[in-house]
Amino acid sequence: MNEKFAQVALGALGFILLIGAWELAARNGLANPVVVSSPARIAAAFARQWASGDLFADLETSAIEFAIGYGLAIVVGVVLGLAMGLNRIAEYCIDPFIWFIYASPLIAFYPLLIVWLGFGFVTVVTVAFLLSFVSIAINAMAGVHAVDASHMRAVLAFGGTRRDVIFKVILPSSVPHILAGARIGLGRALHGVVLGEMFGSNDGLGYSITRYAAQLKTADVFVPLLTLIVLGVAINQASALLEGRLQSWKRA
Amino acid sequence: MAINASKSLGDRLSEAPNARTWIGGVSVVLFLAAWQVIGANEIVRSDLISYPGEIAAAAYDLASSGELGANALTTLREFAQGFAPAILAGILLGLGFALSRLARSLFEPLFVAMYTAPLIAFVPLLVVWFGVGSTSKAVTTFLAAVVPIAINTTTGVRETQESWVRALRAFGATRGQIIVKAILPGAMPIIMAGLRLAIGRAIVGVIAAEMYVSTSGVGRMIQTYSTAGRAAEIFVLVGEVSGFGFMCVWLLRRLENRLAPWRARA
Amino acid sequence: MTQLVVENLRLEYPAARGGKPYLALSEANLAVESGEFVTIVGPSGCGKSTLLMLIASLLRATNGTVKLNGKEVAAPGPDRALVFQDFALLPWRTVLKNVEIGLELQRVPVARRRDIARKYIEMVGLSAFEMHYPHQLSGGMRQRVGIARALSVDPEVLLMDEPFGALDAQIRQVMGLELLHIWERDRKTILFVTHDIDEAIYLADRIVVMSASPGRVIREIKVELPRPRGLAIRTSPEFNIYRETLWNLLEEQVRASGSWAAAKATGDR
Ligand SMILES: Nc1ncnc2c1ncn2[C@@H]1O[C@H](COP(=O)(O)OP(=O)(O)OP(=O)(O)O)[C@@H](O)[C@H]1O
Ligand SMILES: [Mg+2]
Repeated sequence: MNEKFAQVALGALGFILLIGAWELAARNGLANPVVVSSPARIAAAFARQWASGDLFADLETSAIEFAIGYGLAIVVGVVLGLAMGLNRIAEYCIDPFIWFIYASPLIAFYPLLIVWLGFGFVTVVTVAFLLSFVSIAINAMAGVHAVDASHMRAVLAFGGTRRDVIFKVILPSSVPHILAGARIGLGRALHGVVLGEMFGSNDGLGYSITRYAAQLKTADVFVPLLTLIVLGVAINQASALLEGRLQSWKRA
Repeated sequence: MAINASKSLGDRLSEAPNARTWIGGVSVVLFLAAWQVIGANEIVRSDLISYPGEIAAAAYDLASSGELGANALTTLREFAQGFAPAILAGILLGLGFALSRLARSLFEPLFVAMYTAPLIAFVPLLVVWFGVGSTSKAVTTFLAAVVPIAINTTTGVRETQESWVRALRAFGATRGQIIVKAILPGAMPIIMAGLRLAIGRAIVGVIAAEMYVSTSGVGRMIQTYSTAGRAAEIFVLVGEVSGFGFMCVWLLRRLENRLAPWRARA
Repeated sequence: MTQLVVENLRLEYPAARGGKPYLALSEANLAVESGEFVTIVGPSGCGKSTLLMLIASLLRATNGTVKLNGKEVAAPGPDRALVFQDFALLPWRTVLKNVEIGLELQRVPVARRRDIARKYIEMVGLSAFEMHYPHQLSGGMRQRVGIARALSVDPEVLLMDEPFGALDAQIRQVMGLELLHIWERDRKTILFVTHDIDEAIYLADRIVVMSASPGRVIREIKVELPRPRGLAIRTSPEFNIYRETLWNLLEEQVRASGSWAAAKATGDR
């Protein structure tokens, strides 16, 4: 318990050290505060954006885009991944495309997406979806492949059907893999939202970053940026927690 | 999934030698053919989806005009300028984190935060700080790569087996020798995995940064052709970037086979 | 000539959080002749490994000294080489490179250390496997690498901590035989910890029996069986007498410590 507390305290100290050094550097003219900004300026910018409602509006847009894009990615990723896992031919057919989507800088297609889907919301959701569904699909497939053959044989030996094997063995035992993929997908979806907003929208946290940057309002850039960082960490922690819960059967 | 004794046609197909390669190949060829038919016949507007024939022609033009080569070189240079120091810094930082509890407690949360945040969000700031030229791209690459390398180095080092260190200590190894001869090689497979992650992140990072704002480079070209509504050229460029990524990962695999052949078992 | 002297050696492991320090070795005394083969037996947890680690200077004694040729040892070094129960090979190095490591740490030039390593690899019969990695070898072969590695630095004392403990019975006998051959050739001083009573007798010039934890030396038994010894010696009446003596001593210790785990470990044959 004490150990844990010390850990958290030191982690916090790390942040405080960074902020302190930064503020000092800005005040003593070691770094140009207009370019580099400073914690105090950022705090002021934060208060400003909070009061005006800008921050909240950005956050809301991004959160909705994220939720929809990621939600779709889970549904499509799991279904596709399981299908690939259960059927080799499907796997071999889809595999090259999956890897292309996974490995290529999809954002390069944003102008085409804009023409197809319109500027803004739908494009952003699509980028988030495209970036994240692949890792979920790949992991779901790996989950099916990792199923212990002896469990399948046991179900068959007791007169189970192929259906039983799928629903009683394969699906439950791929859950940990699917969750791991979903967790990787989280980060990628968030990345997708920001990319989409930066290039294909004029709304949301990602867009605000580019807009403030173009105006050289460095302190203001940090507000949506830090919000995103906090969001990323929070989502990741929450998912780790959830994953731990859902996987408790594994430890039993 | 051959759980039934009687084999369907599909099972038999999928169990043929090299099934993955040729079924995948056939699927890709069919896809390209369909795309060609749909695009070339304007069943769907070809300026939106292009088609393989047009893409091939565009690739030829871009390559022969020298435009592609020059810009690819710029991107490659930025990538190398960011990635090489990231390897060094990442390994040193990771070692520091692994060997010093204090350093880890103080700075690991910062690192994890950096890792979870979408890297691209930093790019506008980096451009303000480092300008629209190459430097901001190299810095983006560096930041994209350094974090996974450092995190994996830490993980790798912390999984060092006590027996390796014990054996060296028994022969009177110094601390430096233990790091160089036991800890680093032991962590190498995990560091390599970190490098693979880093390559993916860094490529996307450098391209997106160039797309955001730049004066040259592949990302700059993508942006130019995008705004001109030239789908074919975009496909060529995306293909080139993916190809570069695949090549890096392939090279890394080969390197890994040389550096860590003992992993064949694991 | 007395080569290795252990005097009043005591070791307390520092307390875990909220606990007391643990006395692992209370007062060990031992003198080993040059070229002698000494085996060490004792109930599990009595501090045998601790004793070897202290001699190797991998641990610092709470009290007492270890002297090699009259000089107190302070740091690990190639004059005392360890062979580990878990082999402790480096998985990313080939057999050759694993055997070279001791010399490499001493910065012996490549060509020379390669020659030396090859010589010992040949001695343990692994010449055909020089370029193999540890995971490609059987347990017995891995420990041969461990032994070649220890021998390669030409140590004065070879410290072996249950080197055959991870091997199955048959391989174990073969390895024992091979070790004796090697020892008979160049007469290194050997300290050999084992749980196997037959092994302890069969290999030794002298058997050191340790008490239950905290360990100290309670008895030393000279083994006067003729050398060279073959496997057949195990069925001789003399061997049986040693076996019985040792068995009784250990049983007593185990009973005194009241540890079932210890009883199982020493009584497994
Ligand atoms: N690092 C340590 N910290 C605290 N206690 C330890 C440590 N290492 C060993 N011990 C304890 O010291 C005692 C002696 O350990 P040691 O490993 O020397 O015994 P051993 O005679 O080699 O046992 P075995 O026959 O099982 O190998 C044991 O009771 C053990 O639990
Ligand atoms: Mg022991």
